[in-house]
This record gives sequence, structure tokens and C-alpha cells, in this order.
Amino acid sequence: MKKSLLLFFIPLVVILPFSFIISERGCSDIMQKDAEKKLVFKHKFHLKNGIVKNCEDCHGYYSDGRFKGIPTVKTCTDCHDRKGPLKSDDPKVALQKPEINKFRDTDKPWGSFAEQPDLVYFSHKVVMTARFSDGRKKVRCGSCHGDKANSENAKMIKGKMLMGQCMDCHTTLHISNKCAVCHD
Amino acid sequence: MTVKDVKMNRRWGMAIDLDKCTGCGQCSLACNQENNMPIFEDDSDIPKRVSFMELMKVTNDRDAKFPDVKTAFIPKMCQMCEGNDPKNPNPPCVSVCPVVATDVGDDGVVSQIWSRCIGCRYCQTACPYEARVFNWWKPVYEGTFKKSLNPEVSVASRGTIVKCTFCSHIWKRERDRAVAEGKLNINDVTYKTACQSACPNNAIIFGDLNDPESEVAKLSKSKRALRLANAIDLESPEKQKEMRKVKHFSNPKVYYLTSQKWLKDMLNFRKN
Repeated sequence: MKKSLLLFFIPLVVILPFSFIISERGCSDIMQKDAEKKLVFKHKFHLKNGIVKNCEDCHGYYSDGRFKGIPTVKTCTDCHDRKGPLKSDDPKVALQKPEINKFRDTDKPWGSFAEQPDLVYFSHKVVMTARFSDGRKKVRCGSCHGDKANSENAKMIKGKMLMGQCMDCHTTLHISNKCAVCHD
Repeated sequence: MTVKDVKMNRRWGMAIDLDKCTGCGQCSLACNQENNMPIFEDDSDIPKRVSFMELMKVTNDRDAKFPDVKTAFIPKMCQMCEGNDPKNPNPPCVSVCPVVATDVGDDGVVSQIWSRCIGCRYCQTACPYEARVFNWWKPVYEGTFKKSLNPEVSVASRGTIVKCTFCSHIWKRERDRAVAEGKLNINDVTYKTACQSACPNNAIIFGDLNDPESEVAKLSKSKRALRLANAIDLESPEKQKEMRKVKHFSNPKVYYLTSQKWLKDMLNFRKN
């Protein structure tokens, strides 16, 4: 083989894997793929047994319509008392969870997979109150976040929302698609 | 109520009473704080400064002596032009933007999305009022100042155009509040801009121009009202129709109120 060709291909072979690793890390960093979940939480268990009725019980709103997002540990300790029983025969009793005691009531031990960038103003309250004329909700939590209610672990179900997804919904539902509706 | 039935009827406008304005600069300060304006070493360097609202000081004559000298302060921000037809707004800056970074909303507010802006500065050239500013440098905030930034407004990066958007983030916040209270009609949402809230003399009045009961709509029809450098306002209605066919006028939605003749002439570029 010619020397000049070797000079071209050897650096390529050496550098390519590294560049792939770097770009993949960068992508997952932007897409919040590595959002930390320090405390194990099973959505399916809580919703299946009727302990929590709907998503708003934990991911609720403030009185002025702002979305609370990820709840604090206080929401857990409301049921799982820090001095509650460790074992019980009755399956409806909320047991004491020792791993919760590592956190204070105001802590949020979970990172978010679905955080919007700074320049987007997204209002959960407005989107979730929109209804068709026959009373059906236009959007459900699952339409954007995936089937989180049936998830057993803290893995990412759906990736980051792109602007096209918002625009498609706005177009089909005859909602204004002007820039200033969401951006500032 | 289906969404198809609800249409935005608002047409936000502003009236600024120059007779009441003392030039204290509270509006400019409130605007800068509300919209996360960067701070530079020398803010008196006007072409490089980033500020949505400029407080201009004008005098009748540069060489005038004491009894004849007259001064006025003009708070100047984006004038929210709508072009010749209010129902089909066409501001001069929107048509020149190659990447649709600037757009007219349903409520007539000209928006500017910096993430889409490529920094060609065509809109800055097209703007008749020099209301657009360019971020020549990366915004720098000293020390703990970054903690006091408004979380609802994103900080524009270097190399983008920014401008006043009539505090549209406050409108979004109020829209949220209205929905939380159960008001689902979008036309129920009213809000106050930062400069209006800050003005100690109530010289700045913001509201809906389509609503004939609102204070702005009444003030915009008063005899004292005039629009900045919009020559068409001085002509008779018949002449205006002819002029509109020939030329594109900016027709801003910000009205200035003044009873002083020299200032009126000056704002319309007429000689005393």
C-alpha cells in the first residue's frame, strides 16, 4: 500500500471511535438521557393498586396555574411516614421506607427527562384543560411523556420533544401556531 | 366551546403621554430588569448598548437661550407596526427576515425569537424607528446578578437581534392564571407591561385598541395623539386612501400624546 494512503487511513481509524463516543455523550447530555433517579419509584405499582388516582395527585399545579413538575420527598412522606411500621400484613398500609430517610422533605431526588429549553414557555395547565366539544380531553399525559403509568423502572420511555411535535398538534387542533404563543 | 369558536380579538397598543412624562427613566429600568438585559462596562455607548426602551431627550433648538428652550423626553420602544391593513399586518421588519425569526402574532404584537435569528440584521436596517438592537457580545452578568434574572425570559445569545415584545411573557403568565381560575376565553386575559407598572405618573397606558371602551382606544382618537414619523396621519381620509394604494406605511400601534406644537412638528419631521 502506498504510504500516503496509510497516512490518511490510520489517523481516521484511530480518531473515528473517539469522535463517535464524544458525540454520543454530547447527544445524551442534551437529551437528558442521564437524568439522575436517586430514589426508586414504581409508577405502575402506585397506579395499579388505586393508591394514586391520577397523575395530578403528585405532579400537580400551584394556585396560579404553574406546573409543579417533579414532586418533593414531602409527597412520599405524606403516606410513607418516616416513623411508620416496617412490616405489615395489611397490603394497604404504607410502610416506612428507610431509603427515603436519606433525603429531606424539600429534596427532589429525581432528574427530569422532559425538561424544555429556556426559550420555550410551556404551560401544562393550558394544554391539559383544552377539551373537545364533547368533553374529551385533547391531550393526555401519555401523548407527550409516553406510557409512564405502566413503567416499572426509571428508564426513559420517550425522548425529548421536538418543536415539530408541538406544531403538529397545534395545526390539527386548530390552535394558533404563531411563534409568540410558546416562545419568548 | 370548541377552540375554533374562540378567536383572538385583542390588538394590543400603547399610549404614552409626553405631557406627563418627567424623564425619570423608571420605565427603561423596569424593562431592562424584566427582560434580562446584559450590563456592559460603558452603557453610554449607544450603538453597542442593548436596551429595548430608550429614553430620548429632545429640545426645540440646540442653540436656544433660557426663556425659549423647551425639553421633552420620549420613551421609544418597538412601535409594533401593522402596515396598511390592520387585519393583515405587514410590518417592515417581518417581510425582510429570511428565517421567519420575527412574526406578527394574533394579537398584533411583533414577536422576535432569538433562537431562530441568524444575525443578518436586515430587520434592524428595515426598522424605521431603530427599535431593534443587536447583541454584539455575549451577555455578561457580574457576581450573583445571574440569580436575580427573570426565569420567564430567555437570555439571548451573542449575534442575535432582540427587541421589545410588549412583555409577551407576562401575557403568557396571565393566560395561565386565567385558565387556573376557570376563564377559558382567551379574550378575558388582560395584563400590564413592565414599563406601565413602573411609571410613577401613569404616563404609559397599555391596552386593547379593538375595544372601544378601553383607555388606549379613547386616547388614540384624541386630538393630542400622534404617531412617530408616520406622515400619513396628517392628511385627510380621502388622501390617506390614495396614499395607501401607492406606498406602504408603517402605521405603528404606539401613540404619543402631546399638546405642544413644537414637539408635534418635530415628531413628524416638520420644520418649526
